[in-house]
Amino acid sequence: MSNSLLKIEDLELSFKMYEGLSYVLKKINLELSKGEKVALVGESGSGKSVTTKLILGLLNQKNVTKKGKIIFNEQNILNLSQKEFKKIRGNNISIIFQDPIAALNPVFKIKDQFYEVNLNNRSMSKKESFLIACKALEKVSIRDPERVLESYPFQLSGGLAQRVVITMAMINKPELLLADEPSTALDVTIQNQALDLMHDLTQETNTAVLLITHNMGVVRKFAEKVYVIFRGVIVEEGTKDQVFKNPGHPYTKALLSSIPKLTSNQLPKFDEDAPDYLSIAKYTHR
Amino acid sequence: MIKVKNISKKFIIKSNIVQALDNVSLQIEENDCFAIVGESGSGKTTLANIILGIYNQDSGEIWLEDRQLTSKRTLGLRKLIQFVQQNPMSTLNPKKTIYNTISLPLKIHKIVSNEKISERVEKLLSYVGLNAEFMYRYPDTLSGGQKQRVAIARALASEPKVLILDEPTSALDVIVQSKVLNLLLEIKKKFNLTYIFITHDLSVVKNIANRVLVMNKGKIDEFGKTMEVFSSPKSSYTKTLIRAIPTVTDEEDAIKPQ
Repeated sequence: MSNSLLKIEDLELSFKMYEGLSYVLKKINLELSKGEKVALVGESGSGKSVTTKLILGLLNQKNVTKKGKIIFNEQNILNLSQKEFKKIRGNNISIIFQDPIAALNPVFKIKDQFYEVNLNNRSMSKKESFLIACKALEKVSIRDPERVLESYPFQLSGGLAQRVVITMAMINKPELLLADEPSTALDVTIQNQALDLMHDLTQETNTAVLLITHNMGVVRKFAEKVYVIFRGVIVEEGTKDQVFKNPGHPYTKALLSSIPKLTSNQLPKFDEDAPDYLSIAKYTHR
Repeated sequence: MIKVKNISKKFIIKSNIVQALDNVSLQIEENDCFAIVGESGSGKTTLANIILGIYNQDSGEIWLEDRQLTSKRTLGLRKLIQFVQQNPMSTLNPKKTIYNTISLPLKIHKIVSNEKISERVEKLLSYVGLNAEFMYRYPDTLSGGQKQRVAIARALASEPKVLILDEPTSALDVIVQSKVLNLLLEIKKKFNLTYIFITHDLSVVKNIANRVLVMNKGKIDEFGKTMEVFSSPKSSYTKTLIRAIPTVTDEEDAIKPQ
């Protein structure tokens, strides 16, 4: 049996717009092994978030055309029906969104939202679900899980809510966790805690993580393998050390050099006319 | 240039009292790029809002040169301190063209005569690297970086002496962020401005500010020259903040405090 968990082959995506077709993803190839932590880095509009939406089967609008394959556990899931996707979502693949407060439903208490996740393919009483959630929250060093479970999302701080969301995503021990900018909305210190927590939980259950972010610092802290995406094209792939120490593609170089460094006292300078990154072929580290 | 003396401000939310600022004093010199850093809820935005006159402080005084600032201030005082907000998507009125947005402060503060407004708007746009064609566009046709440039042009319109920049680049992508920051430094030099730069991104602070104020829970935690604060932070909170910066090179990790 192969070790590959998720394999994206020649994935293409376009939206039909008023002005005509808009090509969002252009033949993307991406691979994740079991338990691997992979980052997909790019700027706004590069197509990184729609990739996660496709993996979860959340793009089914009429104006969407998709081609290619998304192979998850040796099954092409790109064109599964919503009914079949329901079995996968939350059990095999789960997701963490950028803004934890917006990801939680404001009119339900946290315990009820845990109940809904716990019920996924299982029958369980509310009491059992409460106990399971309690235990899970204790494990992520939340001191008073009962109070958290009895609260509404808006009563929690951002860091606490993100812990709840991460716990919720991990409670069914998924094989793949999609993390869409999981730490962007958080303060730096809390961002670190959230990343550590995600790392520990996924390590324990050997869950693979696809981290979507624009923050190279976060990538360096978390990922083992890195894909750099630019306007729907993967321009560079390689291990973390390769990409950070020896970036091959000019776009990756620009991304890395544009970050203000702690070691310098002056902002990086830019020549305004950026090269046409798309005309430069993809760089793969060998 | 700006003197803040023993400012306190509390908010009452239901029956809870939140002490947003607790006896804060500071002095900002002319031509400073003065950074205020801290996590959410540390009081940095409240401090900016009080300096701007959006709310009144509970106690304490603020002086701009030899004039005292309160929340009731004359137009002449208002025009001297301008503001650039965090989110460029929500700071521009979606119903107004860029021309209307930028010309409003020109009209309010009577900076130029009516016939010369359009010429002036064009000039302001050129300062921020946008051409005249942008005048007749609406905000939703602009990218995030362009919107932030328009917001900067609007802040410059009233010919201020002080710009308060509240997380001006945290909603932007890294490459765009770098360009906007470079632009801000250029403008600062050109117009002899004083910046109050509010942010939680310490690596940006290291690269542009000359003095830093670290705030924690409404109090001043540490204050000093940027170089000194970064090379030998005194408070444990500042050390935690510097340690938490996500870095991209080994050299950066090496200089973080232990």
